[in-house]
Amino acid sequence: MGYFKLLWVFIKVGLMRQMAYPPHFFMMIIGKVIRILLLFFFFQAIFLKVDRIGQWSFEQVLLLFATFHMVDFLMSITFQRNLVQSLPRWVQTGELDTRLLLPINHLFLVSFENIDLMDLFSFIPSLVFLGYVLLNLPITLSWLQGFLYIILIFNALIFLYAINLMVATLSFWTTQSYGIGRILDNLFKIGRYPLDIFEGFWKAIFIYFFPLIVIAQIPSQALLKVLSFESVFFAFMVSGVSLIIAIKFWRIGIKNYLSAST
Amino acid sequence: MKSLFRGEKVFVEAVRGIDLEVEVGERVGFIGPNGAGKTTSLKMFSGILYPTSGELEVLGCLPYKREKRFLSQITFLSGQRNQLFWDLPAKEYFNFCREVYHIPEDEFKKSLKRLVELAEIEDILNVPQRKLSFGQRKRCELVAGMLHDPKLIFLDEPTNALDLINARKVREFIKEKAEEGRSTILLTSHNMADIENVCDRVVIINRGKIVYDGKIEDLYRLNGFKRKVRVVFNGVWNREGVEKLGKVLSFNGQEVFMEVASEEIKRVTTELITHFPIQDIRIEDPPLETIIESIYKKEVEELHLP
Repeated sequence: MGYFKLLWVFIKVGLMRQMAYPPHFFMMIIGKVIRILLLFFFFQAIFLKVDRIGQWSFEQVLLLFATFHMVDFLMSITFQRNLVQSLPRWVQTGELDTRLLLPINHLFLVSFENIDLMDLFSFIPSLVFLGYVLLNLPITLSWLQGFLYIILIFNALIFLYAINLMVATLSFWTTQSYGIGRILDNLFKIGRYPLDIFEGFWKAIFIYFFPLIVIAQIPSQALLKVLSFESVFFAFMVSGVSLIIAIKFWRIGIKNYLSAST
Repeated sequence: MKSLFRGEKVFVEAVRGIDLEVEVGERVGFIGPNGAGKTTSLKMFSGILYPTSGELEVLGCLPYKREKRFLSQITFLSGQRNQLFWDLPAKEYFNFCREVYHIPEDEFKKSLKRLVELAEIEDILNVPQRKLSFGQRKRCELVAGMLHDPKLIFLDEPTNALDLINARKVREFIKEKAEEGRSTILLTSHNMADIENVCDRVVIINRGKIVYDGKIEDLYRLNGFKRKVRVVFNGVWNREGVEKLGKVLSFNGQEVFMEVASEEIKRVTTELITHFPIQDIRIEDPPLETIIESIYKKEVEELHLP
């Protein structure tokens, strides 16, 4: 069964599930708008006192924030919920058994089984916000920049997928991986601020050891025309290597699956 | 304090030294007390669990590699686990199975019709599975698991927690499937009716080891078991004549009810037929549960056929 076909099945199932439990569209959208506005005002308050954060102007910080928001959203409607919430539960309860018996790619199944297209409604505020930011940027955008921006967002998703997969895989040994997932989620959120707010040691950590710049900073730089070839290469390397390590880690983890006694 | 910092891991060896060969088309029942290693064995055979040591080959594949070629030929149905996509009606779930197992459309329609009738689920096909009763859901799962016509069927306590009617329906479904003879069946159950209805071979596991492997009917002939013989004579006979053959439980001159060790049964019945004027002779076996229970308790020291 092709991956796209399988993905389509998951989406269909998600829609049927949503029909069974009527979604709270409005609450979802209102929640999202409030969160965006709060951070918008937070940045505005900062920029009342300063002109720039490091190299970043107010409009640029908003772009970084909008980009982060979009990556975060795409991650949350696709693999994050599956890997960080569902997989540890399936491992603990033995519900993974049924999934391992299906003749399809098991990693793909556990990564994308629950997809809710209804979540797209909560994407509207993020898109409107990104549109507003782009219109207010004092630069003209080229198609190439747009293309690079999309590619780098996709690359950021690969990096985040790898990290989430590594954390989820821990559940084969410990039931604590959900907690670790929450910590990581908070750590990821640092990626929505310009890393210029950090200096020395911490800056190095978030660039090289836990490269948060890959998530939103490097894609944003593509639109701001300040992106170097080295940064693009670095971003692809980080995602590629993380993905390889994560898949290897998953393979070791699944060998250690103990199921649950009946 | 030590354990607070350094969790000690205890590995429990669930199954050890299981040496088992199953031929194509055989219907094997796995019996054993709770914790004996039955489910663990089945999970290893089906590739859910990775064996820590030993050799394992099923349908020419190494199950733990979980290759599509292998997984498309098996099915594993458990009395306890829930299937995927709980919110979907069974009909939609069957369509999902058709896609996953690449079942050709006409073949799918044909087998779906037959299986749905067999499982008696025609009227619940469009109801979301979470709204079905446990028994109805189990029957839907049976259908879903058989759609791709698996060569190897693992059934882990299929009638567990089912009411009498649902258990019977499930049992009949499996029996019918078994009688088609195309599939090899490995079944675990605490319910002897499941085993007797479906299996032609039984493997008894205790503490992770095989303690018996043979035909069900041979279980009755194991050394050490007492079987009961009821004899009706033509006319009246004296007690001393029959007392030397076995322990007499009741005697009224015309009828004797006695207990005979299973290894003695052949000799005793021959003697009765040759030396006594017999109108009727009947051998009563203990219920299978009693035999199995004694095996668990190790009442039978040596398990070998006479």
